[in-house]
Amino acid sequence: MSPLQFAWRSLSRQPARALLGLTGVAVVGALLFDMLMLSRGLIVSFRDLLESTGFDVRVTATEALPGMGPVVSEAAATVEALRRLPELAAVVPVRFGVAAVDARDKKTREVAIIGSETRRRGEWRLVQGADLAEDSAAGRPGMVVNRTFARDQGLGPGSIVRLASTLTPREFRVSGIVEFPFEAAGERMAGVTLNGFTRAFPSARRDEADLLLVASQPGVGAETAVSAIRRARPDLHAFSIDEVLERLRQAEFSYFRQVSFVLATIASFFALLLVTTLLTVSVNQRLGEVAALRALGFSRRRITFDLLAESALLVGGGGIVAVPLGLLLARVLDSILRQMPDLPSRLHFFVFEPRALAIHLAFLVLAALVAAAYPVILAARLPIAATLRKESIS
Amino acid sequence: MSSRRGLLLLLAFVVTAPRAAVAKAPDAAGGPTPEILVSRGLMRERGLSVGQVVMLSADARGAGARPFRIAGIYEPTPDPSRFTAKRLEARMHLPDLLALTADPGEAGAVDAVGAINIALKDPADASAFARELGARAPAVSVVRAAAGDDAHFVIIERFHVAISVVTMIGSTAFLLALMVIRADERREIAGLLRLLGLRRRRILLQALLEGLCIAAAGAVFGVLFAAVTQGAVNAFFQWRYDTTLAFLRVTPAIAARCVALALPLGVTAGLLASWTLLRRPVLDLLRR
Amino acid sequence: MSAPVAIVEARGVSKVYPMPAGPVEALRDVSLTVAPGEYVAISGPSGCGKSTLLHLLGCVDTPTAGSLLFEGRPVLPMGEQERSRIRLRRIGFVFQRFYLLPMLTAWENVELVQSEAGMPAAERRARTRALLEYVGLGERAAHLPSQLSGGEMQRVAIARALANRPGLVLADEPTGELDDETGEQIGDLFDRVNADGTTLVIVTHNPALAARARRRLAMRSGRIAAPSVGAGS
Repeated sequence: MSPLQFAWRSLSRQPARALLGLTGVAVVGALLFDMLMLSRGLIVSFRDLLESTGFDVRVTATEALPGMGPVVSEAAATVEALRRLPELAAVVPVRFGVAAVDARDKKTREVAIIGSETRRRGEWRLVQGADLAEDSAAGRPGMVVNRTFARDQGLGPGSIVRLASTLTPREFRVSGIVEFPFEAAGERMAGVTLNGFTRAFPSARRDEADLLLVASQPGVGAETAVSAIRRARPDLHAFSIDEVLERLRQAEFSYFRQVSFVLATIASFFALLLVTTLLTVSVNQRLGEVAALRALGFSRRRITFDLLAESALLVGGGGIVAVPLGLLLARVLDSILRQMPDLPSRLHFFVFEPRALAIHLAFLVLAALVAAAYPVILAARLPIAATLRKESIS
Repeated sequence: MSSRRGLLLLLAFVVTAPRAAVAKAPDAAGGPTPEILVSRGLMRERGLSVGQVVMLSADARGAGARPFRIAGIYEPTPDPSRFTAKRLEARMHLPDLLALTADPGEAGAVDAVGAINIALKDPADASAFARELGARAPAVSVVRAAAGDDAHFVIIERFHVAISVVTMIGSTAFLLALMVIRADERREIAGLLRLLGLRRRRILLQALLEGLCIAAAGAVFGVLFAAVTQGAVNAFFQWRYDTTLAFLRVTPAIAARCVALALPLGVTAGLLASWTLLRRPVLDLLRR
Repeated sequence: MSAPVAIVEARGVSKVYPMPAGPVEALRDVSLTVAPGEYVAISGPSGCGKSTLLHLLGCVDTPTAGSLLFEGRPVLPMGEQERSRIRLRRIGFVFQRFYLLPMLTAWENVELVQSEAGMPAAERRARTRALLEYVGLGERAAHLPSQLSGGEMQRVAIARALANRPGLVLADEPTGELDDETGEQIGDLFDRVNADGTTLVIVTHNPALAARARRRLAMRSGRIAAPSVGAGS
């Protein structure tokens, strides 16, 4: 009988105990697995969002995040200069602003407005109607709106949007409904041309941009593009997606990484402690049997392998169940965290990566070994004769 | 939102102040140098000191920089929603900020602000006040300040509660397993007592009292352990994020809640395990 | 023609247990030789060192002083691994409390030690079947220990002890948990085992069982008090 078969029979002789232990390991293991997904989930999800726009480099005036610091002045000349760099395939200036609209319930609501060129790549995705065209000098400038804004205001292609910020109403004609990659749930957003942006915000200076979106040439790569920009314009701040993510990882997203680490550590300790307790108590109850087996000629190594197999079945069995359980739990936890305001609705906190699964499995192996360590020492070192004597007396 | 944007712009100004401009600037030929306060983080990051004169500019290239004297250092009020951000900030008088940031070509720019924050004597009047002001001054947007930031913490709290529920489910399974083991160890004694004529109820009462003692001791130990861990966790996060925020707080209410959950859980687990044993025939309990 | 090598030989062995209240001398200068095919019974009051002597003879424990030879080889210099191997292949143990593994059937309990000794599967099956028949439990092979009576469990334990064709079977109070009639049945079985050539050393309080042995030793206070030849001789 192999150690695994022996372990299976040992566990199944106390099915209630084994099942409860397995359940405990599965639940705690699911939590652990989720923490592994959480530790990098935001970064992975945010990378997907950034890459979905089709731009792999961002350029700002300073280190501050786009829209939060000084603007790029002389934007048109800057854009033209950058477009001449052979490493770059596209350079698009973007402006951000917040305006007010009178909602249908007579209350004033905010709408985030993005100004961009008509020749774009991925600042938004057209869902219905037509995309922005060049604004005519006369007439209302064009605007694309997101679904939330369209639904709140009852907008569709051809509708008129009136911004309530100024004495002179600013009106725009909706050409289409779009989806912005970074729109938050419930957030109203609209896109206009750069010309339309200055009409929406008359006090905003012309020829400025909050951000330049840059796409590198195929085969060149973001790092090369960044280097080229830095050489050409050392006054600007260019950063690749990797650099953005590294900064977010160190700062804005670090809390969840830390929390996942703390929770994972506590969960691991907890699981190890309890599996060790279960196995130790189980061995203590079987000391007579173990001594008898040793007396019959079972070597210490055999006893060790039997206990390791028992630990492996308990931890391994629970750990395998933990994976689908963890995926289910992750969906629940993710849905809770995604309710946070001002977060892109496509951003996820828990993202499955094969890496997380690999670490989870590696942890299971380690946990099985560590949890069995003390019971193994107990069983392998027990004095056979003394134990037999003690068991006979008791 | 606007006031925050202003503050963030201020942050950006200071962050992007050209390094050369942070050096001591020559005293102005005429007029006192306006004073500012800098945050502790900024002071440390840029090696500043009280009395030092720095150049601030609203332009990333440093155009139009003006000298300001550091009058003091302040600790920014910890903002839980931004605790990961470095608080590189400065505070200055509003006229100085306007003079620094205004577009010289724009008339009235030195007298224009992005937002005016209003605190009413009676907050309940906010909606009415906003309506009336909006009617009287149609050129301005009057928005009632929302407690939107609290939403983050409501979500974080829900997240932590969910984690706690999961942990409790896992630990309940383990607790039941241990209680089953404990009951099994007492199998022969339980059988003997039954054989001697003791009723099930009597034995269960003993199990209840024992379970209560173990659960109480465990709950108290757990609360003490949490209190100790609280210090370690707070110390770690405060060091990591250079903040005075407390991340973990074991309040009397939380401790009471934990004990209130642990006690019935422990007692119930013990009773359940004992009951599953006592349901068996007496001779089964005594048989090896 | 040289005399056959003794199965086990203890020469002046002593065993002292260090206790918090002071050392306890369980065995004092005991010498004993067991020849192949012998049937030896050791009796004595509780605490006289009978089980301690049995454990030493079975290589389960090591003496504090003296020497021990098993099939002519000194045991003391051996490591635990080698002693384990001897116990598995050359010695069979029968315990007072049977110590059958409760989650294994009678068949599996007997087969387990053969599998551990590396016996091929077909040979194991044949031997297990034969042994269970030998002890009269051929039809109870699939039963768990909880489904067997005390006497039946002890017979399975005897079958297990014989599984690897040991040179020596040691039994520690084999009828201690059994009634007289069942004890007699076990005694009959031991007679058969010995008659078939297996050397047997039993420790027992049971005078009827002890009387079956060809050599009876009485122990008192850690020493062999008086050897005698039994009715079984």
